[in-house]
Amino acid sequence: MEVIVILIPLALLLGLFFIGSFIWMTRKGQYDDLETPRLRMLLDEKPKKGRVHEQD
Amino acid sequence: MEICTHCDEPIEVAVFDDSAHPFCCQGCLTVFKVLQSNGLADYYKIKSSGGLLRKRAPIQLSRTHFQYLDDPSFLQEYTHLTDRNERSISFYLEGIHCLACLWLIEKLPQIAPDVLEAKLDMEKSVVGLTLKPTGKLAQAALALDQLGYRPHPLKKNQKTEALKLREERLQLLRIGVAAAGASNIMLYAVSIYGGAEGSYAAFFNLLTVIFALPVLSFSAWPFYRTAWLSLRNKEMSIDVPISVALISGTLMGIYSVAVGVDENYFDSLTALVFLLLLSRYFLKRIQEKGLAAQDLHFFYHNESVRKSVDSTHESFASIHPQFLSVGDVIQLNEEDFIPVDGIILRGEVRVNAALLTGESAAKKCSVGDTVFAGTQVVRGSALVRVDQATQETRLGKILKSVEDGWAQKAQIVEVTQKVSSYFLWTVCALAVLLFVKLSLEGTLRHALEQMITLLIVTCPCALAIGTPLAFTRALGVAARKGVVVKNDAVLEKLSHIKKIFFDKTGTLTDGRPVVESFLVLKQAWLPIYDVVLSLEKRSKHPIAHALCEYAVAQEANLLEVNDFNEEIGHGVSGSFDGIQYSIHSYHVFEGTTPIARFSVCDRIREEAAQTVATFKERGLQVGVISGDKASVVNDVAEQVGVSRSFVFAEISPEEKKRMIQRESNVLMVGDGANDAMALTSADVGVAVCGSADISLRAADVYLLNPGLDSLSELHLLSQETMKIIRRNLILSLSYNGLSVIAVFSGMITPLVAAIIMPLSSLTVLLSTLWGTKIQRSLWKS
Repeated sequence: MEVIVILIPLALLLGLFFIGSFIWMTRKGQYDDLETPRLRMLLDEKPKKGRVHEQD
Repeated sequence: MEICTHCDEPIEVAVFDDSAHPFCCQGCLTVFKVLQSNGLADYYKIKSSGGLLRKRAPIQLSRTHFQYLDDPSFLQEYTHLTDRNERSISFYLEGIHCLACLWLIEKLPQIAPDVLEAKLDMEKSVVGLTLKPTGKLAQAALALDQLGYRPHPLKKNQKTEALKLREERLQLLRIGVAAAGASNIMLYAVSIYGGAEGSYAAFFNLLTVIFALPVLSFSAWPFYRTAWLSLRNKEMSIDVPISVALISGTLMGIYSVAVGVDENYFDSLTALVFLLLLSRYFLKRIQEKGLAAQDLHFFYHNESVRKSVDSTHESFASIHPQFLSVGDVIQLNEEDFIPVDGIILRGEVRVNAALLTGESAAKKCSVGDTVFAGTQVVRGSALVRVDQATQETRLGKILKSVEDGWAQKAQIVEVTQKVSSYFLWTVCALAVLLFVKLSLEGTLRHALEQMITLLIVTCPCALAIGTPLAFTRALGVAARKGVVVKNDAVLEKLSHIKKIFFDKTGTLTDGRPVVESFLVLKQAWLPIYDVVLSLEKRSKHPIAHALCEYAVAQEANLLEVNDFNEEIGHGVSGSFDGIQYSIHSYHVFEGTTPIARFSVCDRIREEAAQTVATFKERGLQVGVISGDKASVVNDVAEQVGVSRSFVFAEISPEEKKRMIQRESNVLMVGDGANDAMALTSADVGVAVCGSADISLRAADVYLLNPGLDSLSELHLLSQETMKIIRRNLILSLSYNGLSVIAVFSGMITPLVAAIIMPLSSLTVLLSTLWGTKIQRSLWKS
């Protein structure tokens, strides 16, 4: 049973880590659009054929 | 039947490109060419592999050039510069429907070099563009338009947008925290139920309290806020009994740690907070989907208009109608929507005022006549002096009245709201009763504990979870059937409807002429339908369109036309192999001899009679209310089966509104600006497909697909949804009754509560998902 002394803080830390990262991701806007990204990932990028867009 | 290469619609008259791909119209062909020439032909590959998300219509090419977008006053109002000194603007796009659209739109920088980035939000059909600071907006908008997505600039208030975003993220955080709290608590609560003892139990109990506090304060905050607001307004909402349970639970939990009792109700309560937040979040999401199409007020006035810039009216500048002022002179061409009220200075036009007045026949207006905003030029061109602009026009005033109408629209008392009021009083009475009973029998402390327990376990969470879910489901089904419903209250109101009024033009009828009869009087040299098709194909008059459709149905072919000529009010003429043909005054002439006679009518929609009959069967009173002439309205009403005593013709928009206002539980179905005020005054206003923008704003429900079929289905859906909600009500109240009995007989423990409370929510959830027999058939179809 003594192992629980290590396991519980570990579980708590793990939980806190995930809550923390969830808050961070939400604040960064990762969850603002829940529809488009799941579709966007289906589209393949074509390898660029030496044509580079100017992006400044 | 052949299918259009671009839009997949069946083709009536095919248009071909050089490699013989068939198209349904010139618009689709143009888009196809644009894509090919920009190396974006992959669009068609993606489209065929991706599957449709929404139905789409053939491309309508507009002739706007969007110059007004680069007007400094426009830029000031609609765009903003980012930190990196790039210009950003959002457009609502018409016609976004599949994966390929997403791919195409985000390739915009390839077509319009001024655009640095294009990001599409599929859910809202809104594209956010980032441009070079000096980039031309008109170029970007034109490119979007050429791709077949008509852009409408969105005016964004940075502050409200930022606030909205913050609110949305906060909501997600609340749900996330509730989920994390509830699941961690579960871990320790199970250990306690499983028999943890001594210092372990005390420690676990402490942990549950630590996890529960953020959930019951931060996550549950919206419940407390609504409860407080409704109490302050002396109203009742379901959040009041929920808040009572949550607060009692919190107090009891903290108290349990203080006195060293290793039990609390946090496991049940946090799980319920999570489920409640989630169900409300789903409902909000699906409502916003409908509302995205609602932000349409920018739709009206967004065509540019040619304003004369010299005294002879020879040269013109393209500006946004918003910036027109009284006394300006503008030029109107065929197919233009008139943006102002004004007087014709030069020229002659035929004007279709169906949207504004409901009249089906186009009116001829010449020098000195007044034309009104919201009407459309069907033929000819004219110079018009602006008498009233923007809000001061007749249309503007209707618009204003629509807006005021919205603000005044009575909110209905929802069924859950009514129930929660009785519920709270009953629970309070029971709690007092329990307290008195137990304090007489035993200690005061025990009585207090049991009373709080009663308040916790009678939390009407099942009801509060089931109702939003039932509405979410219904709104989702409606959306899939092409019906946009503004919010859940509309569905509830719809289920109580007793009377239903239809507008005529554009609602019961198609709103455009079709050939009613075509009588060949004399054999012509050439096949008559070929002649008709070849001549009328070049005209844009609505009757010409009707004749073309008719000729195509007779399998006519296109012939070579010479000396084509079209005059306003005098039809079309042209020669074939030296023989002169003309079509005017509802006759076809060879030379001067009439060879055929035809008549046109505004065809009644195929399903109109069926819809009317369905509503009558359901015991509703059906009427027709129109601005058109009595003879026409009566005729249509008779054909669709509306009895004479419920037909009202030659009714002005203002009168329509008054008539609807006098009725209660009334549904109004309309399309034009003339119906807009009536739509807001009705309990439920429905705008049919192809409605004027202003009617869309006025309506509670918008049918995206042409026709009235979806209307009767929607009515059925609303009634069935209310049935489910009532069933959930009974289920959840029975569970509450059970808990009350358990408390009174002293059987309740946190473990029993942890079983009963989620079980009740689960039952309601399953009942909602299971639906009714009729609902299941609606879901499937």
